[in-house]
Amino acid sequence: MKEIKAVIVGFGNIGKAFLRVLMEKSSFLENKLEKKVKIIAICEADGSLVNEAGISLKEALSRDIKRLNYWKENKNAVSLIQELDLDILFEFTPGNIESGEPGYTHIREALSNGINVITSNKAPLALKFSELMNLAKRNGVKLKYEATVGGAIPIINLRDTYLFGEEIIELYGILNGTTNYILSKMTSELLSLDSALKEAQELGIAEANASYDIDGIDTAAKVAILANSLLGKRVSIKDINICGIRDITLEAIELAKKHGYVIKLIGDCKKLEVAPKLIPKWSPLNVSGTLNAITLETDIAKKITLVGYGAGPRETCSAILADLIDVLRDL
Amino acid sequence: MKITTHVLLRDVPGSLISALEPIASHGGNIISVLHNRTDKDLVDVEISFMIKDRKTLELIQQELENRKIKIKSIEIDGKKYMEKCSISLLFIGHVIDTDIRDTIDRINTVALVSDVDVVMTSPSDKSSVLMNIELDNHNFPKLEKVIEEICREKNLLAIKSLEV
Repeated sequence: MKEIKAVIVGFGNIGKAFLRVLMEKSSFLENKLEKKVKIIAICEADGSLVNEAGISLKEALSRDIKRLNYWKENKNAVSLIQELDLDILFEFTPGNIESGEPGYTHIREALSNGINVITSNKAPLALKFSELMNLAKRNGVKLKYEATVGGAIPIINLRDTYLFGEEIIELYGILNGTTNYILSKMTSELLSLDSALKEAQELGIAEANASYDIDGIDTAAKVAILANSLLGKRVSIKDINICGIRDITLEAIELAKKHGYVIKLIGDCKKLEVAPKLIPKWSPLNVSGTLNAITLETDIAKKITLVGYGAGPRETCSAILADLIDVLRDL
Repeated sequence: MKITTHVLLRDVPGSLISALEPIASHGGNIISVLHNRTDKDLVDVEISFMIKDRKTLELIQQELENRKIKIKSIEIDGKKYMEKCSISLLFIGHVIDTDIRDTIDRINTVALVSDVDVVMTSPSDKSSVLMNIELDNHNFPKLEKVIEEICREKNLLAIKSLEV
């Protein structure tokens, strides 16, 4: 049984959900791949939990990690990347879409030190996709990012496997669950945008500062990643034309409905555009609530639409687990 | 040259003759006529015919349009020559106060606004206007430019239908 040493950087909802999934799946991974994933560090902004013999996942989940014996105040991820002998770095920090930090530095340092990276952090990839992918290639390691787009929808791995030989002609869809929840509520319950947003915030679907979602920035980050990854465009989020849903009125929603349409915020990777669109009610993209839906059109398969949960810590871990298995197969 | 065109005809006696006459009167040799009946009001009819040159095609096209026959697409020797599409466009903002007549006229320079539906809750509030627009496919970039200019000048939000 080969032991794989890994570090988790960012221990928020996704980091914790991933540890739970890792506990559930560790026997499966050992049996199927003959690899044992050992988490030897968990890094937060103000320090790290470090144990080269392996951290008890149960303990890390049940107690405040800052109160555990191995907690080292002010020990940061960058110094650990250089000090520890690591195979995989999981980057789960929240990203700043202006700078890509702190994730950009973590990912760059890991790749430069020959460490595979699996991330759910959109910002570094939306800003510096080519640079980071080239860095991974030069160092002979993998940078996996399925969890950055569409949560549980396996869009990137689908292209890398089943659709690898096909040309992707069109790629667009609903890439943000929060705005889809708000627009769905406006359509089905005739709530105003403000009321639907408030409800989403009360349910924890939207952040207190909802601009990131409502103004289309989150969708644009995903469009940039997909345009690079699936269409081979060399673009960043700064190249995307963005129009959010802030100005959509209830009257407009009702008028669209009368004519057989619903309004959805659509990210279009070919046009490099985020904008509300009129979607025919019969369209497979007409999905409600926090669901995401992505349509891709290829030269052979024609149109394929994938629907699934675009957010939620556990659902996102489906993508992280798939990326982990892909990395483990090569280690 | 071989022409294949799709026209949309009303399902009433005389419609087909009306579409075939301009072809025959310009010396076109009709090869086939295929009906595609759906549950819609208009029947999609595919007509294939031979003509001598492109000028003749232009005359036939003009005559069909004079007869108010909707041409959906035209192919010359299997290559796409013209294709009509129809889109919906929803404007949000002070669409009426910013001269809706001017908005329609400007769109009509590159396309045809065939239907307009307005919701106006009160004169001071923003209105919503949904337009159905028909255009030749190759005019779509021009239409996008016109819409962009209108939105910028009049501070409107335009939401296009996805089939575009």
